[in-house]
Amino acid sequence: MTLAQRGRWTTITALVLLAGIYVRALRFTPVELHQGPAQKIFYLHVPSAWSAMLSMGLVGLASILFLLLKDARYDRFAAASAEVGTVFCCVMLTTGPLWARPIWGTWWTWDARLTLTLMLFFLFIGYQVLRGAVTDPGLRPRYSAVVGICGLILLPFIHLSVYLFRTLHPMPIVLKPSAPSLPGSMLVTLLLSFGVFTLLYVGFVMQRYALGEGAGDA
Amino acid sequence: MRDLVRHAWLIARKDLQLEFRSRTALASAVVFTALVLVIFEHGRDPTAVPTIDLAPSILWVTFSFAAMLALNRAFQAELENQALDGLLLAPISRTSLFWGKLGANLVFVALVQIVGILLFILFFNVPVWRIWVPLLLVSALATVGFIAVGTLFSAMVVRTRFAELMLPVLLLPFLLPPLIAAVAITVKLFAGRPLSESAGWLRLLAGYDLAFVSLTTLLFPATVTE
Amino acid sequence: MPETVSQNGGYMVAAYIITAVILVVYTIVLARRTRNKHY
Repeated sequence: MTLAQRGRWTTITALVLLAGIYVRALRFTPVELHQGPAQKIFYLHVPSAWSAMLSMGLVGLASILFLLLKDARYDRFAAASAEVGTVFCCVMLTTGPLWARPIWGTWWTWDARLTLTLMLFFLFIGYQVLRGAVTDPGLRPRYSAVVGICGLILLPFIHLSVYLFRTLHPMPIVLKPSAPSLPGSMLVTLLLSFGVFTLLYVGFVMQRYALGEGAGDA
Repeated sequence: MRDLVRHAWLIARKDLQLEFRSRTALASAVVFTALVLVIFEHGRDPTAVPTIDLAPSILWVTFSFAAMLALNRAFQAELENQALDGLLLAPISRTSLFWGKLGANLVFVALVQIVGILLFILFFNVPVWRIWVPLLLVSALATVGFIAVGTLFSAMVVRTRFAELMLPVLLLPFLLPPLIAAVAITVKLFAGRPLSESAGWLRLLAGYDLAFVSLTTLLFPATVTE
Repeated sequence: MPETVSQNGGYMVAAYIITAVILVVYTIVLARRTRNKHY
């Protein structure tokens, strides 16, 4: 089987498992007392955040390896991971406000999580726009790697700055959406969802990598 | 090491001399600063919103713009005359080249920031002299970090299509941490709080600067090596 | 779907649908690009 075919099977499997998660989360996981059904968005939002972070982390890592080892495959992987990361960011950016609105009463808030999501999205977009705008094929992988590495190093600073800001300007939040201690059944759903989203990441990247440079841009 | 500094200084001086001769970017920066100040002044109800509440935001909007302006012209001259290739052939290290560029950008941005502050004092009745030392420190710390990233990116972007559009797009996420920190500290300063209360933010700024000046210096050769 | 729907169940439904749409659409997009590449 080619990489693309294996990737497709992996993705299909992951999607089927996702349907399973849907059933489990919606029907068989208890509704949270204070937040109501909207809390269940959590089971999609948080794992997609994980996938987005994973995507960015691997873009950064692949970029470093590319600059050190000069192997074009790392660049190709970084491009794939960036595109997939963008998709997961879209999921985050839609589920986030849909969760925030009923819980916090506002579509958007500049809290650590959401701001980080938005900046991550801009990083992915910027990375891909750069790839599209560099006409010289010798320069493209190097420039991309530079941005990828800078992006990776930036993430902890964004998180820290927004976290510091929020702790000094507390919002009148009554509910804390991500409870640190989840009852068993909810935790299981969440963990399963993490697994599925990771598998989705793998399947997507396999397919995207197989497309390689011939995907129109890179 | 001495060569490194000397060469960097030569590059910086060349850039700055070029800039002073043209003076266009400096002029646009001044005009923009004045424009922002006028808009803010007329856009508020003086009885409802004291100037001091707006002050940090106004300051940092103008400072950010000054930075973008500086970065935009950073490699422009080189590109126009294919001079970048000549520079690369010169017997100076990549690091000197980068630090020279970075130095010139910082000086330029600093000049515009000073003009901005002066216009600010002129238009608004906000006491700045009491806090000018910490304000200076914060401005310097916040600016150095993202100008380093901006200098690195402008070296790359200048060879792409839509260069003027690419730079802000790429740079936006990198502006966030230093700007948030800078505005937060400035708010405290204008409120009369001692600088020590902003220790956390200052550490963030210092950490960011350290991380990104090192990283950009390390990465610059990758953008110009053949 | 949910048995006990308080006022905010709608958001949950919307979020679950949008997520599914995004992921499925991307899967299809990838599949089509792969097919186009080989012809």
